[in-house]
Amino acid sequence: MDGKTLYVDYSRCIGCETCEAVCGFIHDTPRIHMTRTRDGLMVPLYCRHCEDAPCAKSCKKGALVRDRDGALVLQPMLCRGCETRQCILACPFGALFLTRTGVAVRKCDLCAGRRDIGLGPACVEMCPCGAVMHVERDTVPELCTEESEEALKRVIAHIRPAVKRPG
Amino acid sequence: MNAMNFNFLRDDPLPPNGRRVAIIGAGPSGLAAAGYLGGLGYQVDAYDKLPSPGGLMTFGIPSHRIPSERIDAGVRILERRLGVNFHCATKVCCSAPLHEEEGDHFSAEMIGLGELVDDHDAVLICTGAWKSRKPGLPGEVLPGVYSGLEFLFPIRAARYARPDVTVPKVEGKRVAVIGAGHSAMDAAHSANHLGAAEVSVVYRRTRNDAPCGTFEIDRLEELGIRWMEKTSPLEILGDDHVEGMRVSGPEGESVLDVDVVIYAIGEIPTPPFAGKLGLENIRKGDVRWLNMTSIDNVFVAGDVLSGPSKVGKAVESGLKAARSLANWLDLKGENREAEFHGSEKVGR
Repeated sequence: MDGKTLYVDYSRCIGCETCEAVCGFIHDTPRIHMTRTRDGLMVPLYCRHCEDAPCAKSCKKGALVRDRDGALVLQPMLCRGCETRQCILACPFGALFLTRTGVAVRKCDLCAGRRDIGLGPACVEMCPCGAVMHVERDTVPELCTEESEEALKRVIAHIRPAVKRPG
Repeated sequence: MNAMNFNFLRDDPLPPNGRRVAIIGAGPSGLAAAGYLGGLGYQVDAYDKLPSPGGLMTFGIPSHRIPSERIDAGVRILERRLGVNFHCATKVCCSAPLHEEEGDHFSAEMIGLGELVDDHDAVLICTGAWKSRKPGLPGEVLPGVYSGLEFLFPIRAARYARPDVTVPKVEGKRVAVIGAGHSAMDAAHSANHLGAAEVSVVYRRTRNDAPCGTFEIDRLEELGIRWMEKTSPLEILGDDHVEGMRVSGPEGESVLDVDVVIYAIGEIPTPPFAGKLGLENIRKGDVRWLNMTSIDNVFVAGDVLSGPSKVGKAVESGLKAARSLANWLDLKGENREAEFHGSEKVGR
């Protein structure tokens, strides 16, 4: 699939929270969210704009749609008033966030308003470490390094802890 | 390496609006504010005591964490595209005498705050938190005892090759680091990297309480650095230099044989004229105008207001203060100050 997506190299991220701060400054509330793993690592949870997106598939209202640049964007008018919030449970990366307003969730739209006027996502511009990137989807595998995969594994273990059930 | 683009809100700045703003301190909050105001057409003058902009992003945090080229590239955009003037190695006069905080010895020039207020439509103070908190131990003034910033700062600053900046000599020495925050980790890593014979990190609580997290501690241990938890320093021993440190640990008191002690237990904000500016009231949210001090047209943002935190918090504070400053000047120009309703409180 064509189009760009967001990629965070977790091995370069120092957990400084600049992405979240800038996102919150230009949108009402941030759509990239810093979290602290149990071993003390600060990492941002973010939307990958997945090709085969579980959130879009789970949304009964059809409120998560692909835009012209390949970003998966939320249509507030369709989302508004939803009470199932299945998308939040469906997302494997913890990248959709509950709101307390009429529109049930909020998510990254790769700065749709900025893309309209030729700018890129703000978090990418302001990350001090260059850890947040706005890249063609098919180049992501090339960007992965041993360190970034290792770091990603730790983040995934935090978002999706392996639960041992008795019996 | 791309730039950390402080001018992220727009490509081309608005035409000059004829207003001048001075920003004191060119760290994350000051640079973010410079990007915001420069983009609106303000003539921005940024002052910094250090020889280069970036603040602790350039001089405190090691370059394997924040690449300084990325900060430098962002500063170039501010200079070339937004016409921000940087006045480096210039200290804006403060309540404390010169040479009291880390990095003061770089300043070649001093300017009074009053002068800046007279010459500009508004002033934004983003001077950060540069004074190291002291451990209060007997012997902490001995040669060989450093604060985290004292130790880390010259490592980054040495490339400016000034005769009065020397990298602390730790090669072959035994080093103890007190604290378990990120700067303690950075100090321990740097000491190890500079060839210290042995590095121990001393922390009064357990690894699960450490602000840096257990992952960082595991990484230290992989490098052969000794982690000593539930251990408090009692006294630094020695006559004319550090010879050891008496500590109290889980197994009682003992003496660590060390030659260098680095304490990284936090920093204290260092505002010029703290009392006169009424910073305590701003922290409490008791303000006439968001982020404005008790002096009209003088604003404050970043760690200097909220205490040492993170780059992101400083950036956000700088952006919000810049927006508040612009609103203030715009409404004041039309005699509409009363329309301020302060819905946005200062976060700590």
